[in-house]
Amino acid sequence: MNFYLTYFIVAIGLFSFAAFFALFGVYAERKISAFIQDRLGPTETGKFGSLQTLADILKMIQKELIIPAAADKWLFMLAPAVIFIAVYMGFAALPWAPDLIPSKINLGVYYIFAIISIETLGILMAGWGSNNKYSILGAMRSAAQIISYEIPAGFAIISVVMIAQTLNLQEVATQQGILATEKIKFAGFWDVSAMGGFLSWNIFRAPHLIVAFVIYFIASLAESNRAPFDIPEAESELVAGFHTEFTGIRFALVFLAEYSMMFLVSMIAVILFLGAWNTPLPNIGSVRLAAWTTGMAWGILWVTLKTLALVAVQMWIRWTLPRFRVDQLMNLCWKVLTPLAFACMLISGVWRLWLM
Amino acid sequence: MSLVRILFYFLSFIAIASALYAAASKNLVRSIFVFFVTLFALAGLYVLALADFVAVTQVVIYVGGILVLILFAFMLSGKETLNVIQQPNSKLFSVKKLPAILLASLFFIVLLNVVLKADVDNLSWVKDSVNLKNEITPNAIMIDNIGVNLMTRYLLPFEAISILLLMALVGAAHLSRKQVKA
Repeated sequence: MNFYLTYFIVAIGLFSFAAFFALFGVYAERKISAFIQDRLGPTETGKFGSLQTLADILKMIQKELIIPAAADKWLFMLAPAVIFIAVYMGFAALPWAPDLIPSKINLGVYYIFAIISIETLGILMAGWGSNNKYSILGAMRSAAQIISYEIPAGFAIISVVMIAQTLNLQEVATQQGILATEKIKFAGFWDVSAMGGFLSWNIFRAPHLIVAFVIYFIASLAESNRAPFDIPEAESELVAGFHTEFTGIRFALVFLAEYSMMFLVSMIAVILFLGAWNTPLPNIGSVRLAAWTTGMAWGILWVTLKTLALVAVQMWIRWTLPRFRVDQLMNLCWKVLTPLAFACMLISGVWRLWLM
Repeated sequence: MSLVRILFYFLSFIAIASALYAAASKNLVRSIFVFFVTLFALAGLYVLALADFVAVTQVVIYVGGILVLILFAFMLSGKETLNVIQQPNSKLFSVKKLPAILLASLFFIVLLNVVLKADVDNLSWVKDSVNLKNEITPNAIMIDNIGVNLMTRYLLPFEAISILLLMALVGAAHLSRKQVKA
């Protein structure tokens, strides 16, 4: 029975982590946007405004839950839950440190890829259920965007999987550091199995994966509906897109899903391309930095730091670049990213055959 | 009852109940969303049968692809067409429905026949593979097996399907193209 208890504890732990991250993420987003636009951001609530998001969530919980008269009640009520659960289930297969992974399934990458696509359905549900022009337009745009960008993202992931030869995220992670059992070569010629550090990360093991990483990162921005790909909620034209009609805790759930999604896609990028929980510091002769900084606590630290860095880049991009138009968005996806991702996959195959 | 059995009945119940609702509901959009529940419950059943790859593929293709496509088709089609489909038809049996009823009942008979005659507990080939230790354990890695088989034993069907899909793609691109005036 203890066995099942652990499962519940892990699930609740992941949920509270997602909630905590959303709180922290909204605060960080507001501070970063303020910094970029030369403002101060929240300053009043708590020291440096640090309690602002806590106050926001308290306000949200107290608000009335309004269901529009013309809405499809069931779809409308279930949609935020579906959106959030789809993202939340993805967290189950992410490794945090050596031997620390909520669910060690050998289909990790594929499972996450599948689960994320359910979010589209939740968004369509929200859009249709609201029975509102803006909502349905936002939902359609979002769905079109997500299913289009799944293709370059998928091929970028496949090019990593071809190098790693496994779908198990924990194994992908282990391969990129000093704990690897196989021989690791930096850029295909220099054996760095004993050195580890950033030299053995996937993007340096096979340099064309840098391109794949950029493709995946751009596609992941689109999949989490972040600017410059935020036409689903384009506030200047669609009010707030698919979540126009949501109030109170339901709106909070949609937001929670967006921020969890940001963390999830960044963490997948870190695991697949940037060495997962492996340290960036290599062993240099007798200064065994990599050996000293590998372990359970270090693993959690590294993976969190790298992921937060990527999340920060997402925020930076959001407040720097203007929004894409629909045609530009589709052009970028189908005419630039998809062919490039195909090329990456091809190079991966050749690389695996001849250089590894 | 073991946990696996409880889960099996639970998932089967969800699958059947949601499928019935999807078929009977007058609200088309809602039945599409309920169909999603059916597919998800089926994926759960696949996992229980140790076919996790099939389960995940089911979610990717049906939920992520086909359901979203159905929804798109639904939302892009005109309101008048949909109203005709959604018109309440109170009669359960009518001449118009005769072919459908025939087809459904015949298929049901076939399925019943299979279930009753199969005698699942002592199939010879299942026993053979258990004796030969040629069975799947919960910890087995399936992907390698699937990949190797697709590229060797089932290469011809695999390629045939890919050509079929390519034909469908080309056809769709041709149909959706604007007519060039001659």
